[in-house]
Amino acid sequence: MAYIGLLSLLAVMLGLSVILISLNWLLGPKKKEPYKTYPYECGVPLYDDTAQTTFHQGYYILGLLLLLFDIEVAYLFPWAVVYNFLGVFGFIEVFLFLVILTLGLVYAWKKEALDWQFDLESL
Amino acid sequence: MSIVALGIIIAIKVVVILAIILGIGAYLTLVERKVAAHIQRRPGPMVVGWHGLLQPLADGIKLLTKEDILPSSANFLLYNLAIVMALVPASLVFAVVPFGPEIHVFGYDIKPILTDVNIGIIMAFAFGSLAVYGVALSGWASNSKYALIGALRKAGIIISYEVVITFAALGPIMLAKSLSTYDIVMAQIHQKVWYIFLQPISFVVFVFALLAETGRVPFDIQEAEAELVTGFTVEYGGMKFGLFPLVEWYVEVLSLSSILTVLYLGGWSPINIPFVGFVDPFFFLGPWSGFIWFIIKVTILFLLVLWLHWTLPRYRIDQITTIAWKVMLPLALFNILITAFIAPLLRG
Repeated sequence: MAYIGLLSLLAVMLGLSVILISLNWLLGPKKKEPYKTYPYECGVPLYDDTAQTTFHQGYYILGLLLLLFDIEVAYLFPWAVVYNFLGVFGFIEVFLFLVILTLGLVYAWKKEALDWQFDLESL
Repeated sequence: MSIVALGIIIAIKVVVILAIILGIGAYLTLVERKVAAHIQRRPGPMVVGWHGLLQPLADGIKLLTKEDILPSSANFLLYNLAIVMALVPASLVFAVVPFGPEIHVFGYDIKPILTDVNIGIIMAFAFGSLAVYGVALSGWASNSKYALIGALRKAGIIISYEVVITFAALGPIMLAKSLSTYDIVMAQIHQKVWYIFLQPISFVVFVFALLAETGRVPFDIQEAEAELVTGFTVEYGGMKFGLFPLVEWYVEVLSLSSILTVLYLGGWSPINIPFVGFVDPFFFLGPWSGFIWFIIKVTILFLLVLWLHWTLPRYRIDQITTIAWKVMLPLALFNILITAFIAPLLRG
C-alpha cells in the first residue's frame, strides 16, 4: 500500500517525459536541410563515420571494484540498523569484516588498480 | 481513512513534487545565472521582467519552439530513451523526502512524504545511481565523439562516488537505527543533536559525493565547456537539450541536498544546540515552521553548491577517481569505525 504514491509518481513522470520529448516535434518548425542533422565536429568533416567503435577508457578495474564494494556495503546496511542491539559481538564481527575489506582495498592500491590506466601498452 | 481521501492526498503530494521539479527547477536557472553573474561582478539577466524575473518563461518558450532534430547517424529509440532515463529516476528520489513534520489538516494526520517506507534511504540511493543510464545512453545514442567521451567520463565518476556516498551514509544510519528517512529525522529530534556534529567526516565526504554525482564543479569534467562543449548534450536540441541540465544541475542537486539535510542537518528541525535542545525563532507558526526550516537548509546547501561552482577550477578525470578511492573511501571506512564507538553512548 505504501508504494501506491511512488507508482503514481512514476506513471506521471513517464507521461510527462514523453510529452516533453514530443513537444518540439509538435510546436517547432520542420524545414529539411542537408547538413542540419550532421553530427557536431567543430565545423570540419567527420574523421570517422561513426563514434560507436571501440574506445579506450581507463577505469575498467574500478568498475570491477565498484561491484565488490557495492555488494559489501549492501551487507553492511542491515548491520548498521541493528548495531546498537548487537553489543560487542556485532562490533567484533563487523570489525573483522571491515579489516578484510580494507585489506582488499590496500591490495588493489598496491597493485595500482586504483590509478587511471592511460593506455594498454604501458601496463 | 477512506479510499477517496487517500487518493486526494496522494494526488496533492504528486502535484507538489511536480511543482518542485518543473517550477522550482526552472526558476533555479535564474537563481544560478544571477548568483554566477554577481560572483563575476555583472548584473546577469535584466531585460525580461523586473531583474529578469520572467527569464525562465522566455527560455522555456524559446526551447519549445525549436525544431526537433535527430542527428543523421543517431539511434532514435535510445536517443529519446536517454531523456526518460535521466528525468524519471531523478524525480522519483523526491518520493522519499520528508518535507516537514506530521500535520493535522481537515481531520486527517498527514505526513508530508509521498512513500514513507522503511527502506527510504536505500531507495534514494538506488534512484540516484540510475541517473548514470540517462547520460550513458545519450552519449552512445547521439553517435558523436564529444558525447561519447562525456558519457564515459560521467560513468567513471559515478562508479567511483557511488561507493563513497553509500559508505558515508552508513554513519547516520548507525546512529538513527533506521533506514526510513522520516525516522532518521525523528531520531535526531529525540537525541537532540544534528548528526553533522557527530559525523563531520562523513558530512564532508557526502558533500564531495553530492558534487560529483550531480556534475558540479570541481567534478564537472564530463561537460567541460572548454574541451567537450558540454559533452553528452552536444547533439540534443530544443526542450530535449533543456531537460538534461534541468535534471542534472537542479533536480538532482535539490534531491541530494534534501537527502543530505535529512541525514545530517536534522531535516525539518529548528536550530540545534547539541544535546541541549532546539531554538525555533518561527515558533509562532506551529508545525508549519518545520517546512520553513527544511526550505532554508536546502536553500543554503544549494547556494553553497553554486558558490563552489562559480569560484573553483575543475579536476582532471583521473584525479577525480583517485580522490574517490584513495581519500574519500578510506575516510568513510574510518568514519564507520569511529561511529561504532560513539553510537552506543547516545541515548534514545
